Amino acid sequence: MSIIREHTQTTLSDAWRTIDIDALDPDSAPNFDTSTLHPPQPEITEAEVRQLTTQVRQLLRGGDAEGALRGCLDMPVYNGSDGVKEMAMGLVVEVLQSIKASEMVPVLRGVGEGVGGGERVDVLMKYLYKGMAAASSSSGASSAPRTPTRVTPQQTGFSQMGPRPGASAESTGAAMSVLLSWHEKAVEVAGLGCIGRVMTDWRKV
Amino acid sequence: MSQSLRPYLQAVRSSLTAALCLSNFASQTAERHNVPEVEARTSPEVLLTPLTIARNENERVLIEPSINSIRISIKIKQADEIEHILVHKFTRFLTQRAESFFILRRKPIKGYDISFLITNFHTEEMLKHKLVDFIIQFMEEVDKEISEMKLFLNARARFVAESFLTPFD
Amino acid sequence: MLLLDYQNVLIQSVLTERFSGAPPVSIDQTVSDFDGVTFHISTPEAKTRIMVSLQIRCFQELLRYGAEDVLNREYGPYVVAPEPGYDFSIVVDLENLPADKEARDELVKKISLLKRNAMAGPFEQAYQEHYHLKAEAAKFTSEEAPQGVREGGAVKAIHYREEEAIYVKASHDRVTVIFSTIFREETDRVFGKVFIQEFVDARRRAIQNAPQVLFRNDPPLELQGVPGVKNTGTGEIGYVTFVLFPRHLTPQRMPDVISHIQTFRDYFHYHIKASKAYIHSRMRRRTADFLQVLRRARPDNEEKERKTASGRTFKVGS
Repeated sequence: MSIIREHTQTTLSDAWRTIDIDALDPDSAPNFDTSTLHPPQPEITEAEVRQLTTQVRQLLRGGDAEGALRGCLDMPVYNGSDGVKEMAMGLVVEVLQSIKASEMVPVLRGVGEGVGGGERVDVLMKYLYKGMAAASSSSGASSAPRTPTRVTPQQTGFSQMGPRPGASAESTGAAMSVLLSWHEKAVEVAGLGCIGRVMTDWRKV
Repeated sequence: MSQSLRPYLQAVRSSLTAALCLSNFASQTAERHNVPEVEARTSPEVLLTPLTIARNENERVLIEPSINSIRISIKIKQADEIEHILVHKFTRFLTQRAESFFILRRKPIKGYDISFLITNFHTEEMLKHKLVDFIIQFMEEVDKEISEMKLFLNARARFVAESFLTPFD
Repeated sequence: MLLLDYQNVLIQSVLTERFSGAPPVSIDQTVSDFDGVTFHISTPEAKTRIMVSLQIRCFQELLRYGAEDVLNREYGPYVVAPEPGYDFSIVVDLENLPADKEARDELVKKISLLKRNAMAGPFEQAYQEHYHLKAEAAKFTSEEAPQGVREGGAVKAIHYREEEAIYVKASHDRVTVIFSTIFREETDRVFGKVFIQEFVDARRRAIQNAPQVLFRNDPPLELQGVPGVKNTGTGEIGYVTFVLFPRHLTPQRMPDVISHIQTFRDYFHYHIKASKAYIHSRMRRRTADFLQVLRRARPDNEEKERKTASGRTFKVGS
């Protein structure tokens, strides 16, 4: 009885035609559980990142940039809250920015050596891509409508052209160029493979 | 300016080369279908981590790899209203000719100006490194073209205005 | 062709041919000009009597601002009752032309300037008003001038196109000409802005004696209270103001200045269109270049002609 009523009610509209039945089927391909592809990662708490931050800063002050970088790349935050991930990201950028351009390649070679060296460069690559995505998505949210707000007509003629919209991009542009040059050096040292591993690795920083 | 352009293009080039590693893959949801997985989004396990390469917040590239297709979206620099209009006109001009461009997507992804979709069938019949060259050259030329058009427009406007006003002098 | 001609070239060429002494033929030609103006050249009575009629949408307004005086002055002996459907007509008798060639050319020129002369009425009136106000103002210092002198004459509105108009206003030290112009689409608006900006800047940069040019998207102060001026607030309509200073207002320069300023709107839009066309062709060329680059990605699989060691050729299938 109830089945019949439901049936007639739903057929009254055509909405049922657009229901994605695959989404409702737990065994369908779109519902494949990707967490089965990798073992669960230990959760990293804020306290641990804080502790790491102090250690890394100490190393930086001591002039051991390589050790500092090695330190933060040895403990990638694969499982943690967004805040913790942001903190770790910030720490990596801080270390990267403190290293001079001429020291990049030797530092990278140093980081890439020893046990888990390749892994460390892969983690660095993950952070680099994340850093570039973060800068653009934060601005992407503000300029989401395709017609930017700057297109509004200026009431008083236009001899004053208004502040260049690129002005705010200057600071992000500087941060980006640091990431871009590290990216270049990392590819130089570790090859294209590390980009491939960033794409295929399910563990995300 | 151009000193940050080179690493940017270099990063795009290496990321693209790494991402253009495609194989034939039949759809897992629809029998006898073979669709670009990055567009269909029906099998999460064959979609890879998207990569963003940004030069600043106005210029960036998004590469979305999957097992049999990758989608490349480019946001072109638009410093002012004129450049905005020119970029819009130019990308529309190109997308209207998407048929002959094979890899051009007819509609850009939200937040970007132009998108390309490369499938395994493209990489089977075209040379991969040349495809990468094409994307890179496209990025270089578009910027150049837009700024040249803007310069032309200003120069013409100046000339036109002065010619009109000279008889009053 | 950078600047637009003031006269109608088609009328000029038809009349020059007729006046050159060729055997008379019957003519029936409709000629279009800018701003929706239509001319009709015909020989309704006899092959030797050529009638030129003008139709212009704002003729009533022009009459109110003294167009009749100008037209009678210019075409006095030739004016006839307007042809039905047209606003103003003149008839030239081929058997009664001026004797020497120069005078004939002068007449041709004059007739081909029919539109310009019809539109000139309000401008000439504004000039006269300006002279009058200037004389008045000379009697007072600027503070104590009576209301009428300080504010200048009334605004003359000429709705010469469906949605666009020219407004002319005289004061004691200047004549202000305001064009309202409409930008149909975003591209036109942006391009128009670039062009206008150069007009505004030109005075500062190169041509110090040019009229001052101002631009705004809302009606300027001069037009407040003028019927038909709406502030749409969409930025679709632009107002371009030319301020003519005394050096442009001398009687000697009057004809040229009036002719020239009339062509502004068409000149402006013509160059916007031309720029768009150029940019379009440029994009077409660039697109072809891109295709070329993409084509390089395709490996050659054309049939190649190969040679054997002995020199015979054969084809290899792809």
